[in-house]
Amino acid sequence: MQSTISFILDGRIVRIDFNAGPAWKPTTTVLNFLRSLPMHKGTKEGCAEGDCGACTVVLAERSGSGTLRYKSVDSCLVFLPMLQGKQLITVENVQRTENELHPVQQAMVETGGSQCGYCTPGFIMSLFALYKNSDTPSREEIDDALTGNLCRCTGYRPIVEAAARSCIHEGHDHFTQRETGIAGLLDTIPNESLSIQTSTQRYYQPVTLGEAITLTHQHPDAIIISGSTDIALRVTKRHEFLKEIIDLSAIEELKSMTETEFSITFGAGAPLSDIMPRVKSSFPALYQMLAVFGSQQIRNLATLGGNLATASPIGDTLPVLIAYGARVVLESINGRREIPLDRFIVGYRKTVRKPDELIVSVIVPKLTNGVIVNSYKISKRKDLDISTVSGGFRLELNSETTVQSIVLAYGGMAERVKRAASVEKFLIGKQWTRETVEEAMPLIDSDFTPISDARAGAEMRRVAAKNLLLKFWVETIGNGVLE
Amino acid sequence: MKENSIPHESAIKHVTGEAVYVDDIEVSDQLLVGRVVYSPHAHAKIKAFDLFEAKKIPGVHAVLSHKDIPGHNQMGPVVKDEPCLAENEVVCVGQAMFLIAAETEEQALEAEKLIKVEFEELESILTLEQAIEQKSLLGPPAKIERGNVDDTLRNTPHVIRGELRTGAQEHWYLESQVALCIPGEGREMIVYSSTQHPSETQALIAELLGVGKNEVVVEVRRMGGAFGGKETQANHTACWTALLAWATKQPVKIRLFRDDDMKITGKRHRFLSTYDVGFDDEGNILAANVELNSDGGCTTDLSFAILQRAMLHADNAYYIPNMRVVGKVYKTNLPSNTAFRGFGGPQGMAVIEQVLDRVARYLKKDASEIRLKNFYGLNDRNVTHYGQAIEHNRLLMIHEQLMQSSQYSRRRKRINEFNTANEFSKKGLAITPVKFGISFTTSFLNQAAALVLIYKDGTILVNHGGTEMGQGLHTKMQQVTAAEFGVSIDRVKVNATNTSKIPNTSATAASAGSDLNGMAVKNAVDILKGRIAEVIAQIFTERHASSEHPTSHIPHPSTPRSIIFENDFIVDSDHPERRISFAEAMPLLHLRQVPLSATGFYKTPGIGWDKEKGFGKPFYYFAFGMAVTEVLLDILTGRHTILRTDILHDVGDSLNPGIDIGQVEGGYIQGIGWCTTEEIKWDEKGNLMTHSPDTYKIPSVQDIPKDFRVALLQGVPNPDTIRRSKAVAEPPLMLSLSCWLAIKDAISAVANHEIEPEFSLPATNETILLSIARLRECLARRSVPVATINEK
Repeated sequence: MQSTISFILDGRIVRIDFNAGPAWKPTTTVLNFLRSLPMHKGTKEGCAEGDCGACTVVLAERSGSGTLRYKSVDSCLVFLPMLQGKQLITVENVQRTENELHPVQQAMVETGGSQCGYCTPGFIMSLFALYKNSDTPSREEIDDALTGNLCRCTGYRPIVEAAARSCIHEGHDHFTQRETGIAGLLDTIPNESLSIQTSTQRYYQPVTLGEAITLTHQHPDAIIISGSTDIALRVTKRHEFLKEIIDLSAIEELKSMTETEFSITFGAGAPLSDIMPRVKSSFPALYQMLAVFGSQQIRNLATLGGNLATASPIGDTLPVLIAYGARVVLESINGRREIPLDRFIVGYRKTVRKPDELIVSVIVPKLTNGVIVNSYKISKRKDLDISTVSGGFRLELNSETTVQSIVLAYGGMAERVKRAASVEKFLIGKQWTRETVEEAMPLIDSDFTPISDARAGAEMRRVAAKNLLLKFWVETIGNGVLE
Repeated sequence: MKENSIPHESAIKHVTGEAVYVDDIEVSDQLLVGRVVYSPHAHAKIKAFDLFEAKKIPGVHAVLSHKDIPGHNQMGPVVKDEPCLAENEVVCVGQAMFLIAAETEEQALEAEKLIKVEFEELESILTLEQAIEQKSLLGPPAKIERGNVDDTLRNTPHVIRGELRTGAQEHWYLESQVALCIPGEGREMIVYSSTQHPSETQALIAELLGVGKNEVVVEVRRMGGAFGGKETQANHTACWTALLAWATKQPVKIRLFRDDDMKITGKRHRFLSTYDVGFDDEGNILAANVELNSDGGCTTDLSFAILQRAMLHADNAYYIPNMRVVGKVYKTNLPSNTAFRGFGGPQGMAVIEQVLDRVARYLKKDASEIRLKNFYGLNDRNVTHYGQAIEHNRLLMIHEQLMQSSQYSRRRKRINEFNTANEFSKKGLAITPVKFGISFTTSFLNQAAALVLIYKDGTILVNHGGTEMGQGLHTKMQQVTAAEFGVSIDRVKVNATNTSKIPNTSATAASAGSDLNGMAVKNAVDILKGRIAEVIAQIFTERHASSEHPTSHIPHPSTPRSIIFENDFIVDSDHPERRISFAEAMPLLHLRQVPLSATGFYKTPGIGWDKEKGFGKPFYYFAFGMAVTEVLLDILTGRHTILRTDILHDVGDSLNPGIDIGQVEGGYIQGIGWCTTEEIKWDEKGNLMTHSPDTYKIPSVQDIPKDFRVALLQGVPNPDTIRRSKAVAEPPLMLSLSCWLAIKDAISAVANHEIEPEFSLPATNETILLSIARLRECLARRSVPVATINEK
């Protein structure tokens, strides 16, 4: 068990002993850490909640022998111990020499990609991650890489152009030359569990599931973080002092994905960005939802387990996973149990998970022939926004195009993600026609009494929920041309 | 790209992270963290407060109330109705009450929890409707009127009436409000502030501390975005910080957390406007009666200047022979609304653009036709409702070019076909113009000064009164200086804006930064060139004399008038062989005791405006532009996608086309936010509900047009401005109204353009879905609502 953390910054190993002084705590964010250093003030705080990307940095992790994987993250959402065994790359590290800019920097200068410049370091880091991970990216890939960065000055066009202009060297740059060396340096940091205990805080970062389960049993009041994109806000926005944390981010077992003939099992700790390529063909409706889930920076941190455990009334992945008939696997020292997702969530941010249980995986059954699952998200802004109303719908028709079975799971319509029970009941056994669907739409009102909030009014939610049903019909049968 | 499209002067510093913002300035470890404690109530009496416990927290150096202010407790920029710290009453959630300085943020937060305040809640006004009903005005109404509106309205063939709501908008500068104050010796205070108006920041701090303005220095290197949000309201953070630094005698910094910034600071004014407009069968607008009601919030701030600009832009690009515009600013218990790019212009224009759109639908004509018909004429129909003749009208030129380059007519046809063929998705198209008046409407503000220094090595340092907020002002000033001196750009550096260099400046606002400061810089350069030319002519003459005519008789002396500055040389144009490099000349000039620094000054000539009569020439000139936007609308989700935008914008002879196109694109997208996804909501207690980027959505990269074509109008130099350029900054924001109306056009297609859709701004997916729902109800009943359409 280690009580100090080690990571690489500026090409050197940095060790932090949280007991050495009050300067940094285990819940100090990487952003605040960087800003306390004289030479790393390029990383900016714009919102401290992962919505603006001004604090974007890149984390490099070992990936196979001698190579690294580069991932952009919002440094405001990352606690210092999550850097353990990684390379932290900031905007100050990107240029090759004092007089030679990195291709992404050069392109940003040439296209006029900066005006006030405050968001620019964050964009540079997202562009750098794109540069390392993609060669001649499509417009879609560029947009996706930049969704997590807000700019209020430029209107983005020159930044998109800078990406297209610079990301053309198959990721080769001075980082490539140093990669083996950095990987070697990272290898010198032992892959051990962390147990950081200061006079006021305890922060555990186990590397095995077994340890994690024991810790959870011993510390049932500890806050479990799996990505921390939600929990970090309690520190950065609500200024809470978190006393006891169990961080699951170092457990490889929780990141595994296994496939059988009938299902795919996703480790609860797998970052959503790793899940996406695996679901693209098998679960396209889930993919579609993940594609508009947060941003690249968020998806590089956020996990399926974390998203399910928060049991948000909206919880972007929940409706679609319910529609797929996903099951949640929980484990404690007493063993494992499996629960269908729609019975896992029981109320506003409430689940059946017991304090000593961990979500270890999510099993998503593959669809049988003829079953259709679609997902929908209505939000004020298309990307990096929380749904106003979301839907995960599943339909099975029998040979006479009557409804054999149907699941209509809605987010944003109640205190939890909930199925439209009376609409489902009405539709079963009926012809899947526009007339039936239109007849069913008003029944939404008997299933839900949505609220008005910052995102939208209740009436809009009712209209939207009904429209989604019609849209589902259109997309399964209808003839409308939709985006 | 053109030769003068040099990158932003700080571009390399931006991309490497070296650019220093206020929060990045290294200070000694004496630095204290400042925190402002603000009102949790929209309207309440402060009956008592107790700071005793808060002061006891270790590490806390000061907890201040209004009683600790040595000078005036005031930070109102125009009207002195805004206390720095609340005394007996709070008038909005977010109003500052107390200040804390502590060694760490945690200590400050802990101290805040221990401050005890006893409030007595009072009735509050939180909506414009309430304010209108209770006649809660911030000042007297204003009026601009021409012709005979009432009679014409009675006698025109058609009249439409309606009301329009346009929403508030949060600036969302990426760098939140921030200031760092360092006490100097005696009564000195050095202030690093992210402010668009250093002179006002300086003045307010001096008054607050009860010291002379000569004791306070405000410096601004750059802002991380401002957009009007730091024109007056940066003063607040700077004043609070200065007070804490004064009290503790230590450096103090306040940087507002994003959520606090959003809750405390004012927004773009929301408006509730009404109109009665009369027109003939052809769609010629004959009369308009417009009332603009704005939500000023709890204090005056710049609300009346903003209202005035809204009233002066209620015509936008259209000649309306009989027009009356009445404007009122209402007082509500919300944070005081403030300047935001466009400064009332967008709110005024939105009304008339909505009208034009309705007239077209009513007459079953394409809106582009109706707009063209009503544009100001070149030689007649060219006087605005406030009596200013429009010179150099570019509207018709831009319209013709843009209709062609955007293939408007062909696309309109295709869109109609698409809409007929598709039930669940509709396309919309709109072209809207912008005519924006350039000058502060408070005429005396149209002045600027510059201080240009040349050092003996031939490098030049430019000081001017404008501030850099990303708009590229310093780059343009660098270019102007280099061009006027005929030297290369790298010889010129623009200094951080500093009140000890240039006094009594106007805010960098009203799009006038380059116009005013550019001319002031040029004036300083001209003065220096005059001095240099005189002595250089002597030097040339002497050299000529000594080399060729050693006697006292010199046949061909160099004259100052023939001295020119080009390619880093100073040359006698009559004798081009007589030349000296700029850098070599400077030590010689120094030896000859020539002063190598000069102050330049500029005031805009020929403008003047009678506010009371609503008549005159408030603007030096107008900037023009037009945009065509096409959207695709999913009518079941209310999601719109901007398929294509074509913009043609007039900046005269561009000082820097790269920067100007950046301003046009950025302005348009910022406007898109106001028109679509940016929605401000307060709850019934006056708390801002949309107080973080989690619920307040500015455009992301995914929201920009799929096809974005921006061009600057070519071959139209602007007479009598700095290098024949025009201001840019604000005008392009209003080009986004084309997107707003394209969305409306798509909604309207649901009912085959036969029913006037309900519509407001922003067109959020909620607005859109509900509007469509109403249209469908109407269609289902097969009835047309005529309530808002009076046919005569």
